[in-house]
Amino acid sequence: MEIIICILAGILFATGVYNILQKQLLRIAIGTGLISHAAHLFILTMGKLKRGQPPIIEEGITNYTDPLPHALILTSIVISFGVTSVVLVLAYRTINENKTDNMDQLRGNEYE
Amino acid sequence: MIFAALAPLFIALFIPLLSKIKAKIHTGFFVLLVPLFIFLYFIQFVGLDFTPVLQTYQWIPSLHINFDFYLDGLSLLFVLLISGIGTLVVLYSIFYLNYKERLHEFYVYLLMFMSAMLGIVLSDNVFVLYTFWELTSFSSFLLIGYWHFKDRSRYGALKSMLITVLGGLSLLGAFVIMYVLTGTASIQGMINQADIILNSSYLPLILVLVLLGAFTKSAQFPFHIWLPDAMEAPTPVSAYLHSATMVKAGLYLVARFFPVFSSYEWFFITVTTFGIITLCWGSFMAVRQTDLKAILAFSTISQLGMIMAMLGFGTDVAIFAAVFHILNHATFKGSLFMVAGIIDVQTGTRDIRQLGKLFTLMPITATLAFFGTFSMAGVPLPFLNGFYSKELFFESAIALQAQSTGIASVLVTIVPYLAVAGSIFTFVYSMYLFFGLFGRNKNKQFNLRQKIKEAPIGMLISPAILVLGVIIIGLVPNLFNQSFLQHAATSIRSTATMESVSFWHGFSTPFIMSLVVVIVGAILFITLSKWQKVYDVFPGKWSFNRVYDRSLETLDTSSAKWTNFYMNGSVRTYMSLILGTLFTISFVFMYITDGFSIDFSDLAPVTILEVVVVLSIIVAAVGTIFTNNNVAAILILGITGYGVTILFVLYRAPDLALTQLVIETITVTLFLLCFYHFPNLKKRTESVTTKSVNLIISVGFGLLMTMIGISAYSGNAFAKISDYFIETSLPIGDGKNIVNVILVDMRGIDTLFEITVLGLAGLTVFSLIKLKNDKEAK
Amino acid sequence: MSNLVVLPIIIPLLAGIIIAFFHKKLPIARALSKIFIVINLIVAAYVTYLVFTNGMIVLETGSWQAPYGIVFVADPLSVILVLTTNILTTACLFIAPKLVSDVREKYYFYTFTFLLVSGVSGAFLTGDLFNLFVFFEVLLMASYGLIVLGGGKVQLRESLKYLLINLFSSIIFVTTVAFLYAVVGTVNMAHIAERVQEVEQTGVLTTIGIVLFFVFATKAALFPLYYWMPKSYTVPNPVVSALFGALLTKVGIYSIMRIYTLIFVTDELTSKFFIIIAGLSMLFGVIGALSTNDIKLLMSYNVIPSIGFILLGIALANENGLGGATYYLMHDMIIKTALFLIIGVIVYAAGTADLRKLGGLIHYYPGLGWSLFIATVVLAGIPPLSGFIGKLLLLRGSVENGEIIIIIVALLSSLLILYSVMKIFIQGFWGEKDASFKPVSIRGMLAPIIGLLAVSVFLGIGAEFVYPYINEVAVYLLDPEIYIQAVLKE
Repeated sequence: MEIIICILAGILFATGVYNILQKQLLRIAIGTGLISHAAHLFILTMGKLKRGQPPIIEEGITNYTDPLPHALILTSIVISFGVTSVVLVLAYRTINENKTDNMDQLRGNEYE
Repeated sequence: MIFAALAPLFIALFIPLLSKIKAKIHTGFFVLLVPLFIFLYFIQFVGLDFTPVLQTYQWIPSLHINFDFYLDGLSLLFVLLISGIGTLVVLYSIFYLNYKERLHEFYVYLLMFMSAMLGIVLSDNVFVLYTFWELTSFSSFLLIGYWHFKDRSRYGALKSMLITVLGGLSLLGAFVIMYVLTGTASIQGMINQADIILNSSYLPLILVLVLLGAFTKSAQFPFHIWLPDAMEAPTPVSAYLHSATMVKAGLYLVARFFPVFSSYEWFFITVTTFGIITLCWGSFMAVRQTDLKAILAFSTISQLGMIMAMLGFGTDVAIFAAVFHILNHATFKGSLFMVAGIIDVQTGTRDIRQLGKLFTLMPITATLAFFGTFSMAGVPLPFLNGFYSKELFFESAIALQAQSTGIASVLVTIVPYLAVAGSIFTFVYSMYLFFGLFGRNKNKQFNLRQKIKEAPIGMLISPAILVLGVIIIGLVPNLFNQSFLQHAATSIRSTATMESVSFWHGFSTPFIMSLVVVIVGAILFITLSKWQKVYDVFPGKWSFNRVYDRSLETLDTSSAKWTNFYMNGSVRTYMSLILGTLFTISFVFMYITDGFSIDFSDLAPVTILEVVVVLSIIVAAVGTIFTNNNVAAILILGITGYGVTILFVLYRAPDLALTQLVIETITVTLFLLCFYHFPNLKKRTESVTTKSVNLIISVGFGLLMTMIGISAYSGNAFAKISDYFIETSLPIGDGKNIVNVILVDMRGIDTLFEITVLGLAGLTVFSLIKLKNDKEAK
Repeated sequence: MSNLVVLPIIIPLLAGIIIAFFHKKLPIARALSKIFIVINLIVAAYVTYLVFTNGMIVLETGSWQAPYGIVFVADPLSVILVLTTNILTTACLFIAPKLVSDVREKYYFYTFTFLLVSGVSGAFLTGDLFNLFVFFEVLLMASYGLIVLGGGKVQLRESLKYLLINLFSSIIFVTTVAFLYAVVGTVNMAHIAERVQEVEQTGVLTTIGIVLFFVFATKAALFPLYYWMPKSYTVPNPVVSALFGALLTKVGIYSIMRIYTLIFVTDELTSKFFIIIAGLSMLFGVIGALSTNDIKLLMSYNVIPSIGFILLGIALANENGLGGATYYLMHDMIIKTALFLIIGVIVYAAGTADLRKLGGLIHYYPGLGWSLFIATVVLAGIPPLSGFIGKLLLLRGSVENGEIIIIIVALLSSLLILYSVMKIFIQGFWGEKDASFKPVSIRGMLAPIIGLLAVSVFLGIGAEFVYPYINEVAVYLLDPEIYIQAVLKE
């Protein structure tokens, strides 16, 4: 199963990157969302899957899934959320100010 | 010794204060004392029983950078030239520059230069030598740009800096290589271990780098192009830096390292070739010039080439002659520059086409110029020092023996002819200079525009003293021989002693060569106007100046073209380049190190439910690419997020699942808020190439991550540290939810700063929106 | 005692939060910012002193023993960089009231700056790879705040690109941490290092190392990953540009230095690869600098070659190489700040960043002109100023390893760097006095710049007082055991 999840994460990365390579800002934003999912899946997988109970101590159970990746993913999810919100608002403002959502028109090589 | 060398630098710091006093006394009078005292200090060392002195002062001993000042005969010659000519130049400048100029600035640069130059010739430590070397380049830069409101000054300053700093840097390269090879930063130490350098495989490179340093500084062909443009500097500077001292630093360097390289045949070949070419080219080009200082600049280039060639010959006579000519050249060329300055000030022009008939108007100047030019031409008269060294030059040129066949032997055969040819043109430009100024002007409309008077006495003192030097050495050529020149020559080559120099020693070959020079030179000078057209054909429009200008221009334009090509502001280009490089190189490394491995032994079982979830995530992810509706695309993104949430549930990560659920919901809302009002996604209209490039990059990158992921998973070799967390969560961390304990306790710092990130994000979003509202309110 | 280590991170964090409450009351915010940064500078200096007299300080946060909890490690390299960070931030905060507009100051300029410092110091001090990621995010988030501050069209646009590329590389970073965790089962750097040594760095580890290198190289703006950098450093306020130029890329190269001295070995293949990247960074950076007439952009491009120089030192992996890299890193942080500030003042004074429109400024601003001249000479590595010492060490290291071509490249790029910046002096300051020009006052702006230049000159002329410590850093970096032992206490 771990291998399947690795492949899934790889596909998420690939689709995310494909979206980032597009012109429209929304697609780029969506792309970043996809790759952060991919990253989280990778972290989870690297701690092995389904090798025990959820990491909440209960008497009589000694076998738990690896709790560290969970903690790392939690931190990462919150951070990604912070960054994503900035990206979105910034994108919103950029589109408003520049009157376009096309990255090709946001290159800025024209003389300013 | 260190105080003598660094004194000018320290005094320079106080010069700006001097200008505050606003006294009626020219700043130059204060400055004059500095080189004078240095000269008097060092003149004490001159004598028959001179022995080298070494003084060491620590600076950065842990890096082997110390003031190891070594005064031997060669250094002494240069030190005296620097301080002696320095004194005369400062004296001359007092009358040349008037109060309205930014005098303190001028003298600060000049004193900086003086220290730097003394430092070069006294340092035994290569790194300190290099330090002073660059200091001369920069003080020269500032002095050439002294009148920086002129375009030509700025141009000349930049050019000289680029070329000399290029040389300086290559010198640094050579020094570092030699330092690492020999383990010492001392030049004397390197000379003692010359074998190591000579046997090193880096030898050719070292030689090229050292010579590049020397040739650029000493304006050797084809690096000579900066010198004529350096003439934009005030004339005292030209006389001092660009004739008597700084340009000789390259010669000093070659002489200093002569004992290291002299047995290496390519040293002989390179130095001789470049020297001889420079001699011929410089003198040939001097005849073409119309600006007084340009003539002198090319003449300096040519004379430097001649000395360089003699250092290349490397025989006893040649080395002695080189040392002798360094002294002689300083006297006659220094006086000539000062004469040029006088004429510039008195007549208001330096254009030789607009000058002439000055003999009667300026008799003293003319007399001084006579001695200078005729000595430079090497006219055989017993009171001109130039003749002696020129004849020694011929003598050494014909005495060269071919050590081997090949290039060296060809060189040996043609050197005498080239020596004569170069000297003939030297004669021609000397006469051209003298008669151009003081003879009659051939131009019929010629009319001197203003009343011309003889220069004030103050301005004449310095050139007069130098001319006196020309005459004294001419009359008593052996005056400084034993006590002074001999020491200099033997510190380059221990056997380079010279019993005596005499004016007349029969109809020897050198004397005949001198006669040929005078006769042919005179003929060429008289017929000058007939053959001058040759310059239109050769070098014509083609020159090294043009090469310099063009290459600088090309550098600017092509770098702009190139940079704008890939720095096109498109995120797509940037990302493609970044990711393309990343996965290509990572794959290469993975391939070379055999990094891919896959291990099926330790895997979780696959269930249908999981597969269904995984497939739906994939479908949704691919779907984002093909949707052309804002809301739909955002919602599909949401589906992938919720799919991941389900995976979290399946993989027994309840905290994650809850958090992901909340965050995903908020994110989707935010997406909708931000993009709802914007125009819908458009159908893509990219070309097939763009599409396939995108596809290759995204698939390549995804593949890379999957492959590393699988290999990393399969390669695990150690127990995870998590076991510790599971064990201690309850007893030490006092919490049942291990993930929570990790977050708030064991890795509490992560969480603290994670909150900081969130806070910052909030602040950023707030300012982004608030600032906009404020703007709109206004 | 060891709790001191966390202070350079916590003080700016608290300072940022406290100042946020006074953001509308500028006089108070300004005064507070100066007080806090000076306190932090003193603390950093004290920690540096302690580390060099008593040895490394390791702090296990929450008393969770390494490798399980997060550790902060004050080792010679990190404290030197923390100290340098504080020195240059002090200069920036003293010039800020003059050079930053009131509106921007009110919108949390000081808070963002302090959190940037907190994040940077955290990144230098942490001994935990995942925690490094968190600090990266702190400093990046603070930098996002700074870069968009009060921006118009252009600024928003460039910020967006900056943000996207950094976001992407952060995600790869965290993924790579996970990969490493899979192989070695830990995220503590000392522990990773120990375990990597045990398995003798298998193929997959080398690959992960390279991906990690790319992550940091993107942040460090090395060839061929620097595309996001030049323009995004040009658009914000000059003080922000100075902080970015001095700190952000340096954290990236610091991380490369850390992981490639501690965790991964620089074998022959990696070394060659790094040297090629270093050389190309030197050349392409300076080519970029020559390509433009915008003096701010010109300066931004000049960030790239210096990162190349530092990478060269890392690639050489010998005493002189690493010492040179450290010296160069320190020098470059100081001088880049000074240069960005000088450029900022020029633009402020002349009202344009277009080199073709500048000229004759020396008649009005001699102090500024000479500051630029000195800074240029320092930057080009002309002795006896600070750039030279680092470069000399790097050259020595290269010869010792027989890397001759890179020497030629390094020297050539030094010349071109000199040319590119000296152009500003020649065209901008020299020239005829323009009588119609109306000079504006730049009072108080020069003092912080001159302060930085003084530090820079001292680093060169007074190298004897500094170099032995740097050499200590180099010797220390060559032996990762010291770090591992100090953290894991086995």
